[in-house]
Amino acid sequence: MRRIYSAIAWIIAGGVVVQAASIAFALGGIGRYVQDGGVIDKALVESRQATFTGDLGFPIHGIVGGMVIPLAAVALLIVAFFVKAQGARVRGARLWAGIVLGLVALQITLGYSIVDMPYLGLIHGANALAVLLAAVYAALRVRRAALSVAEEPAANAITT
Amino acid sequence: MPSRRDLVHRAAAAIAVTSALGLGALGWGSTLLGEYSVMDMGGGQAAHAHGTRTGPGSPGSGLSVTELVADPLRVPDVRVELVARQQTIEIPGGRPVEGYTVNGTSPGPTIRARQGDLVEVEFRNESVAAGATLHWHGIDVPNAADGVAGITQDAVPAGGHHTYRFTADDAGTYWYHSHQVSHEQVEGGLLGAIVIEPVQPPAGTGDTDAVALLHVYGGQHTLNGRVQDEHLPTEPGATARIRVINTDQGTAAVWSASPFRVVATDGHEVNGPAVVEGRKVLIPAGGRVDFAVQAPAHRSGRLHVGGARSISIGDPGAGDAGATPSARQSSETLDLLAYGDPAPPGFDPQSPDRTFDYVIGRRLGLIDGRPGNFWTINGRLFPDVPMFHVREGDVVVMRVVNDSGEVHPMHLHGHHVLVLSRDGNPASGSPWWVDSLDVHPGEKYEIAFIADNPGIWSDHCHTLPHAVDGLVAHVMYEGVSTPFTINGGAGNQPE
Repeated sequence: MRRIYSAIAWIIAGGVVVQAASIAFALGGIGRYVQDGGVIDKALVESRQATFTGDLGFPIHGIVGGMVIPLAAVALLIVAFFVKAQGARVRGARLWAGIVLGLVALQITLGYSIVDMPYLGLIHGANALAVLLAAVYAALRVRRAALSVAEEPAANAITT
Repeated sequence: MPSRRDLVHRAAAAIAVTSALGLGALGWGSTLLGEYSVMDMGGGQAAHAHGTRTGPGSPGSGLSVTELVADPLRVPDVRVELVARQQTIEIPGGRPVEGYTVNGTSPGPTIRARQGDLVEVEFRNESVAAGATLHWHGIDVPNAADGVAGITQDAVPAGGHHTYRFTADDAGTYWYHSHQVSHEQVEGGLLGAIVIEPVQPPAGTGDTDAVALLHVYGGQHTLNGRVQDEHLPTEPGATARIRVINTDQGTAAVWSASPFRVVATDGHEVNGPAVVEGRKVLIPAGGRVDFAVQAPAHRSGRLHVGGARSISIGDPGAGDAGATPSARQSSETLDLLAYGDPAPPGFDPQSPDRTFDYVIGRRLGLIDGRPGNFWTINGRLFPDVPMFHVREGDVVVMRVVNDSGEVHPMHLHGHHVLVLSRDGNPASGSPWWVDSLDVHPGEKYEIAFIADNPGIWSDHCHTLPHAVDGLVAHVMYEGVSTPFTINGGAGNQPE
């Protein structure tokens, strides 16, 4: 389970990288499209027929951010309950999975609220880094916990 | 060898998983719609109606929608044949796209009739595989001619035909489009304009009259089907009436550096329209606004229609090159709630017979077995949405509230609605009549209409993919029923 926990955490971290890349790709594409005389308005957006380079960045951002990462974060928390090193539960695995899930939930809420309050975009960008760091820390922590448990079997075990 | 306790645990887990899957499948299956009639919608929880009258009579009795027709004996004044095809559309100035045409072009031919004319349209579907219909957007046609597949008729299959007959009672700017798989067929171009000219031309709205139909084809913004701006030649100082039709899925902005007037909204003249300067006018998806624009004494003026296209008006010799340069879009929007001079609306909405709520929200759920983040009406998911039961002659007031994060252009078939107030501020200008009304996030509109056109009428969002995702309800007259069904053998899929 440790490996699965770690893999899921890395998937979340990788997802954040995809998110940053896809939105930059999309905004770059918009800039180019507008420079070339293209017009983006409600009619174009709702027609779902935009065809500029970078347009794909938006659905990628939506699917990864709205589905892949949250599902992975939920899976991480579930798996966290079964993470064991040397037969003992790893302290903090659940806590950090919870933190990741909480940050992801905040991130999605911010993402869906940006159109109403564009200033939230400032937090959305910064919180992305928090998700990334928390996911990476969670991934590394289980691994480290496993190593330290191997050295000091009693120290990190918690009774339940 | 697993211990007995382990075996018990495993068995319990297996039973739990199986039960969960079974319950999940059952829950999922219960959302499947199968073949259904709109008659069955809103069952058991009819829309919350207040009023002096009693509830609706027993549905299913009385009149069929097919009997609600224009005078069958009258000889038509205007007769048109329209042929729908599924084919490649040539877009002048752009690249061709796969879509739908009417009489070989998209947009199809503009139909022109005079107020009071009986219009008869013979519609043939030559090759639209999914079937097609024609809906007369904004015209208060008899219910049988409304063109909604599965409610007022069966979709016309490829090779089939259907006759539409209606009297053109209200002069104004309208459009026609398919109401079968409409999100696909309207986006794909199965549409055209219809102009009903008044018996007496209104004073001061122009000697020159032009249609400006906006549509996005495959990401290309077009004006009357071309990826090109247009020039409307007029004498210096002459006034032109530009009929802007928004056939797209989202709001269109119209603005100009030159002064203009808004002379009609959704086919109804504005009373005492003032000159507009430095403001843009927003046209909801499906909506129409007629503008009166005066050509300057020298060269031409320019009216921007939608973000991408414009029309220059003036000097016949100069062409588009002689037009004034593009004007920056104004950040201020003209508020039609307080535009023009007040006038009696012709009925009293203060003591309505019925009052309905139409509250738009959004939540995760399943519609027809399909998971998604769907629109809700009064907190409920399609098809568990309210049915607005009315009786002929009722004065109906509806509170439309948008609790979602996106604008919704709400369109009621077969009736024109009068805007009474927005967010508690009463309308203070000309009576503002609409059939397509943009309700922005957080806004509350109070609208009213007279139930004077019996039938079963869609009341839906005209950002058509939103209708697919559940934003559609119906107004149903007492004693009217439909023999048509959705998702049945005829393949009717109105949205």
